[in-house]
Amino acid sequence: MTNGAELTVTGVDRAFGGVYAVRDVTLSVAPGELRAVIGPNGAGKSTLFALIGGQLAPQAGEVRLDGARIDRLSAHRRARLGISVVFQAARIFHGMTALENVMVGAHATNGAGFLAGALRLPVHHREERLIRERALECLARAGIADWADRPAEELPLGQQRALQLARALCAQPRLLLLDEPASGLRAGERERLATLIGELRAEGLTMLLVEHDVAFVMRLADRVTVLDLGGVIAEGTAAEVRADPRVIAAYLGAAPEETGPEAAAAAATATATATETQTATGGERDAGTAARAAEDQGQQNAGVREDSASARKGAEP
Amino acid sequence: MKRLGFGVLALLLVALPPLLPERHLATFVLLTLAAAVTVGVSLLMGYAGQVSLGQASFYAIGAYTAGLLAVHGTPPLLGLLAAPVIAAVAAVLLGAPLLRLRGHHLAFATLAVQLILLSLLAQADWAGGAIGLQGIPRFSVGGFELRNDLGYAYLSCGVLAIALLVARNVVASRAGRGLRAAATSEVAAAASGVAVGGYRLAVFALSAAFAGLAGGVYAFYLGYLAPGSFPVLLSIEYVVMAVVGGLGTIAGPVVGATVIVLLVQVLNTLGTQPGMPDYAPTVLNYAVYALLLVVCVLFLPKGLVPALDRVRRGSLDKARSIR
Repeated sequence: MTNGAELTVTGVDRAFGGVYAVRDVTLSVAPGELRAVIGPNGAGKSTLFALIGGQLAPQAGEVRLDGARIDRLSAHRRARLGISVVFQAARIFHGMTALENVMVGAHATNGAGFLAGALRLPVHHREERLIRERALECLARAGIADWADRPAEELPLGQQRALQLARALCAQPRLLLLDEPASGLRAGERERLATLIGELRAEGLTMLLVEHDVAFVMRLADRVTVLDLGGVIAEGTAAEVRADPRVIAAYLGAAPEETGPEAAAAAATATATATETQTATGGERDAGTAARAAEDQGQQNAGVREDSASARKGAEP
Repeated sequence: MKRLGFGVLALLLVALPPLLPERHLATFVLLTLAAAVTVGVSLLMGYAGQVSLGQASFYAIGAYTAGLLAVHGTPPLLGLLAAPVIAAVAAVLLGAPLLRLRGHHLAFATLAVQLILLSLLAQADWAGGAIGLQGIPRFSVGGFELRNDLGYAYLSCGVLAIALLVARNVVASRAGRGLRAAATSEVAAAASGVAVGGYRLAVFALSAAFAGLAGGVYAFYLGYLAPGSFPVLLSIEYVVMAVVGGLGTIAGPVVGATVIVLLVQVLNTLGTQPGMPDYAPTVLNYAVYALLLVVCVLFLPKGLVPALDRVRRGSLDKARSIR
């Protein structure tokens, strides 16, 4: 149904204050593919997303959507080309209802401007009707139709995240970037999200998914790309990646031991946060720590705190 | 409820002017024009998050556009229509570089623009220089001339109505949604396809157009323009009116303008009482703006209209709970 786009990232670099958050990353996602991007905190995942979504410009390298270069385009231009973003922190619009929030998502697909709105030209009425209908559908799809007329900031966190997803869907994207969509969600909400992502994949939408919950990722994704210290350290199917010694090393911060893949994955989830604290004291990985600090600037504390909480929960026997 | 508010306002604007004595009619005209300018300022501050301390420059540009065209024989209606257009064009040319500045920087930049404009106007002999532009004909459409203040009262009411209607329509449209979205999260708005910079420029231009249109009426009403008619204090007055009335509300500018103008009238009467020094009116004016701003920011941070709304809703809730 949806006509998923092809994404090609070639050798992109992005540094903050001389420290690379993303370095020479190359990545190619086929139309309709669901690609997961995993890695320890501060591995450069969010920065990579920002480079694709247009919140940041790469200092080197290229980003192409269906073969056309987009890395010099501003975020709103990229949105018009069909890239939608679900941010890590629930970035919703205050002072507007949930429905209006989702209607903003349709901005990328419509064109009525100030004049059409001010003079109430026919195009304004036509578009408003269509946008409203579509926004209501998207709200229903995200499971929050009942909240449509409530002010967005009054929604509970889980619903705010669903709202963000509904907004992204209202843009009828061809490439959807999901930055930790499951963080802070309860088990039921998480299941519902997984089902929706599965449906979107079946419809042929290309998706890029960053997630800390490795089990969640492994279940959904076609292929997995693992980032560490701003670079790609492994890529392949879930099983291939799980068995990769470099991946285990990146998560544990030590040489891989003889463990089963399942155990490694579980350990990886549990120690994702712990690793960060450990490496902060390790001299050899100073660059990585700085990169993480650089990347964390852009992330909201709330999101990070939730991650640590869920990681800690995973560590309990 | 909203519709009712508009109805009451419309009725007031239509019914009030003939009831006013001649000397108050002039105040009414200036009040209405100020309210029209403030609609733009409120839109700019409330929805685009930008502060302009130079809005009177667009009022002046509109006034001089209409005045100069009329003096050189252009039909007044054309002059009046050209006023908002030229003001908007000026805003786009200025705004493209200025809107890169944020917050206080933009405020100071627009303030500087106005000072530069005033000094240029004072030296421009073709615009009357410091002495001013004289002999602007009265406004007329197809042989029908607007002679008395009552006519101008209705003309300025029309301008205010247009400004209010356009502002309301823009806010409740796709473009307005984009603007309101950008007010909380620029990043998320841009990611949804909102060209944030372009939108802010458009609102700046729209607010300038309102000011320009009001300025055009002002030119025909007074028949005389001088740089001194557009002091920086006027720009500040618009900001105070917008803040006192309530940013991001449609009725706010009207309420704010009314409160300020009436207050200034009272103070002027007070300041010109026998025995008062001749600087008293000016000092009182400045003082009242400063005091009002401080009081408003401290006690009514959202302005009068939202505060009144809250009171009304509160009493409704109380009534409901009693029942």
